[in-house]
Amino acid sequence: MGSRLSFVLVVFFFAATLIVAVYLRDANRHVFYTLQTYKIEQGRLQQELWQKQLRVEGLTNPASISQRLDERTVHEIRQ
Amino acid sequence: MKSGNDDKEIRIARDASVGGRRELTAIVVIMSLVIVAFFALAGRCYYLQHNLGDHYAEKCIFQQRAYLPLEPQRGAILDSRGRVLAASNQIRTVFAEPRVIKEPKETSTRLAPLLDMGAHEICRLIVDSNNPGCAILKRGATIAECEEARKVHYGIGIQYDWQRQYPMGRLAAHVVGFTSKDNFGLAGIEYTFDRDLRGRGAKHTFLVDVRRRPLGFCLADERDDNEMPIHGAGIILTLDATIQQFTREALLSRYKEFEAEAAVAMVADPHTGEILAMVTLPDFDPTETADTAQTHPELFTNRLLTDQYEPGSIFKPFAAAIALDMKVVNRYETIFCENGNYHGKGFGHIGEYRQGYGDLTVREILKYSSNIGMAKIGQRLGATRLYEGLTLFGFGRKVGIELPGEAEGLLRPVDKWTSYSPTRIPFGQEISVTGLQILRAFCMLANGGRLVHPYIVKSLVRSDGMVVDMKPSTLRIGYVIKPDVARWMVQDALTAVVNDSKGTGAKAKLEKWTVFGKTGTAQIAKPDGLGYLDKAYIASFIAGAPAENPRVVVLISIRRPNVALKKGYTGGTVAAPVAAVILEKTLTYLGVPAKGTAGESAVAQVRPYSEEEDDHSW
Repeated sequence: MGSRLSFVLVVFFFAATLIVAVYLRDANRHVFYTLQTYKIEQGRLQQELWQKQLRVEGLTNPASISQRLDERTVHEIRQ
Repeated sequence: MKSGNDDKEIRIARDASVGGRRELTAIVVIMSLVIVAFFALAGRCYYLQHNLGDHYAEKCIFQQRAYLPLEPQRGAILDSRGRVLAASNQIRTVFAEPRVIKEPKETSTRLAPLLDMGAHEICRLIVDSNNPGCAILKRGATIAECEEARKVHYGIGIQYDWQRQYPMGRLAAHVVGFTSKDNFGLAGIEYTFDRDLRGRGAKHTFLVDVRRRPLGFCLADERDDNEMPIHGAGIILTLDATIQQFTREALLSRYKEFEAEAAVAMVADPHTGEILAMVTLPDFDPTETADTAQTHPELFTNRLLTDQYEPGSIFKPFAAAIALDMKVVNRYETIFCENGNYHGKGFGHIGEYRQGYGDLTVREILKYSSNIGMAKIGQRLGATRLYEGLTLFGFGRKVGIELPGEAEGLLRPVDKWTSYSPTRIPFGQEISVTGLQILRAFCMLANGGRLVHPYIVKSLVRSDGMVVDMKPSTLRIGYVIKPDVARWMVQDALTAVVNDSKGTGAKAKLEKWTVFGKTGTAQIAKPDGLGYLDKAYIASFIAGAPAENPRVVVLISIRRPNVALKKGYTGGTVAAPVAAVILEKTLTYLGVPAKGTAGESAVAQVRPYSEEEDDHSW
């Protein structure tokens, strides 16, 4: 009776260890995957911000302002 | 009976002996086979390990790992006030991994509406791809397109690439340059500082599952240390986009009005050598270089650095300054200018551009731009002293600016000069210069005779934030010419060229500031070097302001204005008004006080020239 109980316990703990190991491995993989996803997302947002900054630069640079002023002057003269 | 039994036993024993031998033989054979099989297996194992080990190890690594190349972001190029002239931003590229897509037709059909492409086209890209790991489907895809496409099949991925952008377009195209599609600098600063701008790439290695989803970083291999990429350094130029715009706008208007072949302009600080603006026309759009390279590759030329030409009369102040510095003339004496007809044995005939003159001082020679007066000054100087003086001004050798393609100009060694040379070089013939060389020499006059080194890259900002000062170290001792000579040249002689009503540069006069300058109208030499082209001129004007303490100097050269328009073709007519516009806008922008205002005396660092300080020694 005693040896049978020991056998059941060994099997139980062995199975439990396997399940925990698989769970931890899966959790580790999940955390890593999430971290990488966030890193990519952060990079993407940074790039979007940079892109918008470039667009603003394109609109506010001296050449662009001068061109728009010229266009406005021509428009006003026509009116 | 007994004997019969014995025979039987003997027979049984014999049979047993035979059977035992057979069993033994069988065992030996089987064992031998086992041993042979064992050795065969061992041999195979050795063969696999020794000969094919690398192959299988590679296959194993390939199966278990995935690589993510990380391209560095190319550094930005900024003007002196931090405005972006060139920068890279990320674009998304949808790609397929053909080796894992078993049904390309079905995948293509599902992708087509998401990527707004034809299913046939997508299918062809996947099937015909030479690379089983990557077939590019769409560049510059939107976030929504990427997200939807990724869900279609695990063999569809998103890749991030860098795209170079030039927010100011043509404004500083010749200075900034451009890159190839794979982000290698091909012209301008992009080319010269390509290594610094490019940075260093990296590669991340992951352990992946059967569906190639990352499980974790692979740190086993020393080669794949999963470092982050080092982004390229940023470059800050001395160029000011606002002054660049003033310069380009004024020059472009004149270039169009006179239907010129080309035009260049440059603005610099004479004290530090900082280039504030550099314009070459015609120019190009740095975002459309592929088309330009095929149709008009000559547009990429930065003519201020590459074009060598006979400068004409804008060269006169340098020869005159050398003569005054070496005391072969003094500013009070008059030189007889032969009433416009000077000829003699050994130097041929020299005439004047407008009219003949009699006795002229050095100041008047420059004011009226007399060729004969300059020829006589050259004769007094002699070949050796003239050559030495011009060498000190830096003619005949590269300035060494941080831009590619700079020419040396041509100042022949004295032993190759003819008897014509000392009479022709002082008024800008028999010598070739670049615009940059002329500007540098003029800076030396404007800053009181000090050596100056023009530069365009102010500093370099590394990705770790470290700022590297790129300003060239200039020798602050010694003078190219005496400060008094330089000061008189700027504040008296060259001021007269612009501010006297009969001066050739009168069209550059400003009300608020005292402008000094020199006009030049050079003929263009024939390609074979024999004589000059008919009705082909380079109209130039070099100027600075304010004369009391020059803050900026400007060079304008307009090549081959259309003479048939009958609007004029001389430096005073074509180029001087451009310089006036640029100087007025730039000085206002820089906040330089106008003459007669309280602020003017406060900022004056160079003593104004006065009659009392003249020691009459030159």
